[in-house]
Amino acid sequence: MKMFNILSIIAKYVFVFIVYTFIFLIIRMIYLDINSLSKYENYNGAYLKLLNRLDNLPYKLNDSYSIGQEISLGRHNDNDIVLKDPYISKHHFRIVKDENEYFIEDLNSSNGTYVNGERIFDVKKLAYGDIIKVGNIEFMFINQE
Amino acid sequence: MKKLNFKVTRNLLFAFEIISLSLIFLFNWPNIDRNTIYISLGLIGLVYVSNILLFKLSKGDHYIFSIVCMLISIGVIMIYRIDQDLGLRQLKWLYIGIVSFFVTYMVFKSYDRWSKHFNIYLATSYILFFGTLAFGFSTHGSIRWISIGGISFQPSELIKIIFIFILACIYSDSSFLSKPKLIKYKEPVTMILVYSFIAILFIQRNLGASIVFFSIFLGIQYIYSEDNKYTILNILLFSIGGLIGYFLFDHVKIRFLTWLNPWEYIDTIGYQITQSLFAIAEGGFFGTGIGRGHPNFIPLAYNDFIFSAIVEEMGVFTGIAIIMLYLILVYRGFKIALKQKDVFYRIISIGISLLLGIQTFIIIGGVIKLIPLTGLTLPFVSYGGTSILTSFIALGILQGASEKEIYGGPKNE
Repeated sequence: MKMFNILSIIAKYVFVFIVYTFIFLIIRMIYLDINSLSKYENYNGAYLKLLNRLDNLPYKLNDSYSIGQEISLGRHNDNDIVLKDPYISKHHFRIVKDENEYFIEDLNSSNGTYVNGERIFDVKKLAYGDIIKVGNIEFMFINQE
Repeated sequence: MKKLNFKVTRNLLFAFEIISLSLIFLFNWPNIDRNTIYISLGLIGLVYVSNILLFKLSKGDHYIFSIVCMLISIGVIMIYRIDQDLGLRQLKWLYIGIVSFFVTYMVFKSYDRWSKHFNIYLATSYILFFGTLAFGFSTHGSIRWISIGGISFQPSELIKIIFIFILACIYSDSSFLSKPKLIKYKEPVTMILVYSFIAILFIQRNLGASIVFFSIFLGIQYIYSEDNKYTILNILLFSIGGLIGYFLFDHVKIRFLTWLNPWEYIDTIGYQITQSLFAIAEGGFFGTGIGRGHPNFIPLAYNDFIFSAIVEEMGVFTGIAIIMLYLILVYRGFKIALKQKDVFYRIISIGISLLLGIQTFIIIGGVIKLIPLTGLTLPFVSYGGTSILTSFIALGILQGASEKEIYGGPKNE
């Protein structure tokens, strides 16, 4: 039984260590989750909702992007949504608001922009629930007005 | 940025289960049959696989299930250490629990008209209540069990969930109480309903459950009622009820006496609580180590008093960790409610978070003598088939509600 006592004493420290690491990791993940959300917690108008799971992506992205008057996406840093992805062109697409309608425009990207699975070549009007796909990233267009 | 994901927590959980299991087998050596080993290894596998499965399956919350897996692991190890037979039964209940979690989640997610069946919920809970009164048998001084075909269960545990549905129907204006003619009487009628539930529980001498029901009602009423005077009235009524209960019923009085000074009655009614306090004191920061304490000295150590048993053998640090796990769980529940746009699902999420939070507070507070002790199970940790099953069903509903949050209505995919 002496052997068991030693093991049991070692194990109790291991247990405390494991359980606390577990709790720490969960809290840390929740923290990162909230951090990415909080910027756009109150969107009233139209926004793009990311459909991919955040923790599967190799780069930092927000959960949703409020559109406002105009929003652009691309690899270059002067875009509103910057995607450091080789499949994305430097200036890939933009969405423009015009008299309460939203239009998406492909900026001659090499791999294309897909709306509901169809590649767009010029300008297309967006409707609630449209799915915009660039590379492996999918957004849903949501307009709450 | 360092990539952080659920793989690490999953593996930590796995490591915890393997180490504690080997230790417990070593402790009981050589009185272990093959069956037990297979069943427990199977459960570890099931927990691991279901964590992966849920991650693939669900777009909703992924924290609540991992947290609960950690809680059940700590709990079942302790129950197995206290009593091998009970531990084995608990293992089997956990299988049923996890399966029913997935079933509930699927069913709740795929059906959209939960808010339309107020009358059915109401009828079911009254049938279950009166069924318990008519056919129930009593253990530890309260009538709360009924037995069907050799399997006994506690209807009050199940009614807790139905009760949340009833309140959600009422306050999301989906019940007949919100018809224009009746809307004036919505609050008073709701209160009569709730107090009839509490009265039946009180007759069954199920004090803990009646407090849980009341607290859930108070919480939801405070958030959703237009008029706060009903909330104040509620608190007043409950305090008066408590006072009357104290003077009229012995079993209420005993709880208060053993809370204020258990040392005076250490041989009789104060025995349980004092043993629990001794056990907690014995444990210290890191506990005595599994198999080296005496949790058998506490009556009902595997059930209501599991928290004291855990603190004795695994230390107050593990005790604090358990409280923290419940805190995160309840926090996630409220987070789901905040993101949810549909009022009905929002109230369901709040109700379930309140249920888990209050039940934990009441029983942990009871065994550490912070508040008067009332018999309740610690959700996911204590021994008990009905408790495990209903807790997992509640969790499945919460998981389902977290997924309905995204577009606030039917999914458009």
